[in-house]
Amino acid sequence: MSQALALPNRRVEEWKYSDLARALGDAGFGEASARVEVTALPAGVETIELDQSVIPLWISAHYGKLKANNVGALSLAKTRSGVALHVAKGQVVAEPLRLAVTGEGHVRLLLVLEEGASLTLLEDFDPAGTRNAGFEIVLGANAELRHVRLAPASGAVQVEEVSLRLARDARYHGHFANFGAKLSRTELAIALEGEGSEAHLSGVTVLSGDAHADVTTQVTHAVGRTHSTQLFKKVVAGHGQAVYQGKVTVAKGADGADSRQTAKALLLSERAEADLKPELEILADDVKCAHGAAVGDLDTDSLFYLRARGIPEKEARHLLIHAFLEDALTDIAHDDLRETVRGAVSRALNEVVA
Amino acid sequence: MLDIKNLHVAVGGKEILNGLSLHVDAGQVHAIMGPNGSGKSTLSYVLAGRSGYEITEGSITYNGEDLAALPPEERAAKGVFLAMQYPVEIPGVTTMMFLKSSLNAQRRSRGESEMDAIGVLKTVRAKASALNISEDMLKRALNVGFSGGEKKRLEILQMALFEPKLAILDETDSGLDIDALRLVAEGVNGLRAPSRAMLVITHYQRLLDYIVPDRIHVLAKGRIVAEGGKELALELEAKGYEQIVKDAA
Repeated sequence: MSQALALPNRRVEEWKYSDLARALGDAGFGEASARVEVTALPAGVETIELDQSVIPLWISAHYGKLKANNVGALSLAKTRSGVALHVAKGQVVAEPLRLAVTGEGHVRLLLVLEEGASLTLLEDFDPAGTRNAGFEIVLGANAELRHVRLAPASGAVQVEEVSLRLARDARYHGHFANFGAKLSRTELAIALEGEGSEAHLSGVTVLSGDAHADVTTQVTHAVGRTHSTQLFKKVVAGHGQAVYQGKVTVAKGADGADSRQTAKALLLSERAEADLKPELEILADDVKCAHGAAVGDLDTDSLFYLRARGIPEKEARHLLIHAFLEDALTDIAHDDLRETVRGAVSRALNEVVA
Repeated sequence: MLDIKNLHVAVGGKEILNGLSLHVDAGQVHAIMGPNGSGKSTLSYVLAGRSGYEITEGSITYNGEDLAALPPEERAAKGVFLAMQYPVEIPGVTTMMFLKSSLNAQRRSRGESEMDAIGVLKTVRAKASALNISEDMLKRALNVGFSGGEKKRLEILQMALFEPKLAILDETDSGLDIDALRLVAEGVNGLRAPSRAMLVITHYQRLLDYIVPDRIHVLAKGRIVAEGGKELALELEAKGYEQIVKDAA
């Protein structure tokens, strides 16, 4: 393995809270290839396996072109397993597309929405298997993608890098529901390249036992009149560790950029840990940027209020934790997908709240 | 219904109530008046079962049962209700959902069947209109963005909905203008019943013009120092707490 593709350890600043080299041990990610299964394919979406000998122009134009971290570069170098998906210009796909990312090893995904196209995507990240997925998403002018990623609790090391570029007036809504792994890292690299483009990121994390979940985002406002919001909520019990690192960069000249990022964690035990690190780098003059992070435990006044109204302690705790997560969940615009995530959250909370 | 004997309560090691005794029968409305720091809120919290309030001596008997031995949710199910001075705001839980969860939790605890969403909605609506609580308020997150008056009206709505046997109203008049006060008082008066006892805790005599008590107790330094009929409120208003406390000593 070349030095450039060495697995990051905690001495690398961006991986300080997620020591990938240590979690993987000597075996690393190995040489195997994981898979992507299309489990629901609505009309209007073209899908192609990446390991074809003849590939269409829309793949060669975009595949492997986006900024990647070391781990993303590794999956690019190691595999051609995975799928590419394409929605043609002006095509509005009503039904959700559903993908399952499964198996062990490296895998790649490419999704291209041409100008004015619209799609809803549910990505199921299978909990079985040590896996390194690299996902590139290209949104053409005025395209819109609603993306929900669901990662159930896993005992493996699971990494995914999602890189996006957005052209003029394109809109991305991404929700990342994560229930932890031996090491779980979701890295989102978002490039707002076209004027009027916007990215709205949200996520919920519920951890128990010694689960770990790291969401790291890098949002770049490359041009003016771009808009980004981030809202990440984490509930950590047991010995769990939740990480949020969010960096927003507003490039020189990107005047009128508007960015907000919020990360909050609720710690339910003495040994639970949350590392929240929102960060801003502003090189433009006229921007509106806000960021905040807060770590706390359940509010005793609220708990007493609910119990004084007859709600037993365990139920009251459930209610307050659901309430804490609620605004991040309502960011999921699609009703069915929101209920899917809500169901997963409820099941996870049953484990967490004794 | 409620029998408090020689109650001593400490908060964080500091004694706040010291030797408070009080007896309230069903059908009666008693007022507890007292200056700031006399222990009024401590009394209301210890009756509702808030943690951090340690009973070091004495007893609280409610319908023959040791109230202090019960967790707050069981007290509520057995008919103890505290209208709080500072109702909490809970973003992420709608008022309607909160009312349904509370009502059904109490019913479950008593072995009664749960009410469905439509049943709860109908019951709540019928009681809400009398308190001028809009449909919109019920849809909003619990107490979030509510005015002081709206919060207090919602407390009274809960009292009407839960139909408690013992209702404790802690400074329900604080932060209310005269119209809101009248509305809240009407709500409370409408709930006076032979089977229900009320304990109205207040700093000012003003509320007692609207909710006329059967008996008034003056609380100072953690114990009852004077008792009397409703005319005691006027005497307090005229003389001030300091004089009454001195007279009693």
